[in-house]
Amino acid sequence: MSTTVFVARRIVTMNCSIPLATHLAVRDGRIIGVGDASIASQFGPAVIDDRFADSVMTPGFVEGHGHAIDGQMWRAPYAGYYPRTAPDGAHHAGLRSIAAVTADLRRHEAALVDPAQPLIAWGFDPIYFDGPRMTVADLDSVSATRPIIVAHVSGHIYNVNSAVLERCGFSRDSNIDGLLRDAAGNLTGELQGPAVMGRAARTVGDAGLLRALDVPGLRAYGAIARRVGVTTSTDLANALTETNLTALRGATAEADFPIRLVPAMRAREYSLTDGIALISQLRSQSTDKLHFGMVKLVVDGSIQGFTARLRWPGYHNGAANGLWYVAPAELGAIVEAYHRAGVQLHIHTNGDEASELATEMVGRAIAAHPRPDHRHTLQHCQMADEAIFRRMAANGMCVNLFANHIYYWGDQHAAITMGPSRAQRLDACATALACGVPLAIHSDTPVTPVNPLFTMWCAVNRLTPSDRVLGPPERITQAQALHAVTLGAAWTLKLDHKIGSLDIGKFADCAVLADDPLQVAPEAIKDISVRGTILGGQVFAAS
Amino acid sequence: MIPLTVIGGFLGAGKTTLVNNLLRGAQKRWGVLVNDFGALNVDAALIEAQDGRSIALSNGCVCCTMGDDLGDALATLAGYRPDHVVVEASGVADPWRIAQLALVEPGFSLEPIVVLADAMTLAAGLADRWVADTLRRQLGFAELIIFNKIDQASPAQLAGARVAVAELRPQARLVETTQASIPLDALRFSPVPRPQPSRFLADTPHPFITALWVPPGPLDPVRLRACLADLPPSVLRIKGAVTLNGDAKLLQYAAERWAFTPAPAGLPLGLIAIGTPEMPDLAPILAACVA
Repeated sequence: MSTTVFVARRIVTMNCSIPLATHLAVRDGRIIGVGDASIASQFGPAVIDDRFADSVMTPGFVEGHGHAIDGQMWRAPYAGYYPRTAPDGAHHAGLRSIAAVTADLRRHEAALVDPAQPLIAWGFDPIYFDGPRMTVADLDSVSATRPIIVAHVSGHIYNVNSAVLERCGFSRDSNIDGLLRDAAGNLTGELQGPAVMGRAARTVGDAGLLRALDVPGLRAYGAIARRVGVTTSTDLANALTETNLTALRGATAEADFPIRLVPAMRAREYSLTDGIALISQLRSQSTDKLHFGMVKLVVDGSIQGFTARLRWPGYHNGAANGLWYVAPAELGAIVEAYHRAGVQLHIHTNGDEASELATEMVGRAIAAHPRPDHRHTLQHCQMADEAIFRRMAANGMCVNLFANHIYYWGDQHAAITMGPSRAQRLDACATALACGVPLAIHSDTPVTPVNPLFTMWCAVNRLTPSDRVLGPPERITQAQALHAVTLGAAWTLKLDHKIGSLDIGKFADCAVLADDPLQVAPEAIKDISVRGTILGGQVFAAS
Repeated sequence: MIPLTVIGGFLGAGKTTLVNNLLRGAQKRWGVLVNDFGALNVDAALIEAQDGRSIALSNGCVCCTMGDDLGDALATLAGYRPDHVVVEASGVADPWRIAQLALVEPGFSLEPIVVLADAMTLAAGLADRWVADTLRRQLGFAELIIFNKIDQASPAQLAGARVAVAELRPQARLVETTQASIPLDALRFSPVPRPQPSRFLADTPHPFITALWVPPGPLDPVRLRACLADLPPSVLRIKGAVTLNGDAKLLQYAAERWAFTPAPAGLPLGLIAIGTPEMPDLAPILAACVA
């Protein structure tokens, strides 16, 4: 029964009884004491660990909406616009022009030995580039013979070279939806939608981006997450096939796996009966590092992809309304069945019509089958207005808002998708809190990079790349933002009794920071360096 | 080429009942793609082999689940060499999007796009704020619309459904039925030489007309493209082999979309067009494309 006492310059506990401390006593991976120097001697012989004596500790960050596949993306070259850190810690500066993307691809192409091996890159997003879009000629300048696919960050578009077009049988003479053309009618190499993209991926062979989870991939995700202070992450969602379960169990059983994983079962993989049976069976198999019990539903698509379901007045640029991924009545039946089975639902809704529908269906389910403390959570919920948040509060629902979107696509939402006035309420954190809806905020990694300090910065400042403050009244305080990436997120996972604050009996999970995110200037939150994490009393250095 | 029929329609329209009818009747070796086996009512005694993605039946039929990649599932299904493939679109999918895959997947030829509609609820659905636009999209490219459950629909509901479809999709053939029961030839184009005078009176699918044109030589790709782009909506399908730039190509055309893929060896040159009775004589139009 050894006790370790960690010493810090300041410990922000998120624990109401003892909000600030300097010493944290840990036994068997759990917190046995928190307070000032006087606690060091209260629990018998103790090892004093003062390596972080000049650092600040907070509860370990909780990524309430991430995808563990992030770790495996890095097996392919990153072609994104924004800087990003790979699992090995290598910093990628971001590629700020099409020429920069092709130059980088040329470097990767030159390193491939087998001329038949396809070159796949990921994370590309042309929304940030002025001027012409990427063309088949751009990619042919990398290689016209080796198949090349550049996957967009949205996951809904590929750019390909002529070698891929030829193998697919796509030519100027093909006229089907999803093959983009220039003014002269030639294919640009941009493929949109599952029909043509699926054909390209299959023709080229294993695209690498569609693989099942594996242990090295999960280790890579753990490395990415712990480097930014995360100690618990969701994997939202996961098919929970035998292959995936084996990988999840294998990785989390490793003594030095640095995060706790909380997968949500992707409901559409299963019939209602099979899904309920599987999640009920898995619930009892949770371990300290692998927690089962949540189910993910997807109601609509994405706003910037124009597939989110919007209420009047629809898309600002006049695009047709988005798509239901599940029929409204069917959603009601699914919500009811899982709700009755005691499952907690995480429901993807991007557009406000989708959020309204999901709120309505949860309302019907709880009216028919009252169940206290269900904590059904809307994920993203980006365009909900005050009325929807009030109904969510009345239903006892939680929200996990996509705060990173404010920065990454805020300017585009103001200009194109929502227009300048509706965009003010994009990811309306302050309204959610004012209405009494428990709040978490997230990155949706790999859509945007996991980094809770950055996500806090987004929610606190609401700045876009053009220095616009999008909806100033929706800014929340630093304390509210820290809550949203710790105890608030833990609440949405029904894990607030185990993680999310530094309190007696809970896991000793901490983020170790160079500065206090509550005391730095609001605009500096994202620049605080993470020195490490502590998971169940075990120290992981950030480097 | 395996004939491929896409069956769309909103939740509850009767798609799964139709598929179950096909499998039970088994007058052909059907290959069926579904979203979910769960809803299929397959007699356990009929199941010959089963894995996570496909079920082979002792009557020669096979069912596969669609998964994330429809093309992949089609390729799996083609491996069983079915007589006819039926794709059951999800209740919210746009069947036309799925149908276009058949234009680029080698080995399939696209048959009429079938959309089932619940005669009781169609008119109400088209007024529902949550589902109206999805229903419109589904009906927008339908070539055969099946009003199902007419025994349960009130006269007003049925009349409302007819009026709505006449407005939304006047080009489509109509069938009215119960229990999703339809004559099997409705799932293929069954062209006849002469047009029928009325499309609203019969209770079987109205016939389509057909035309064959054999090109006297290679075609000019630019003029052919322009010609295809200008075809009227009465032309439902064109398929067949042509020579373009010295290569034999298989052309498949449907609803203003088309694709050229390498022609299977031995396919004689010639285009077969299928259309509604309003289809114009295509011979002079296509003759202008000869290189």
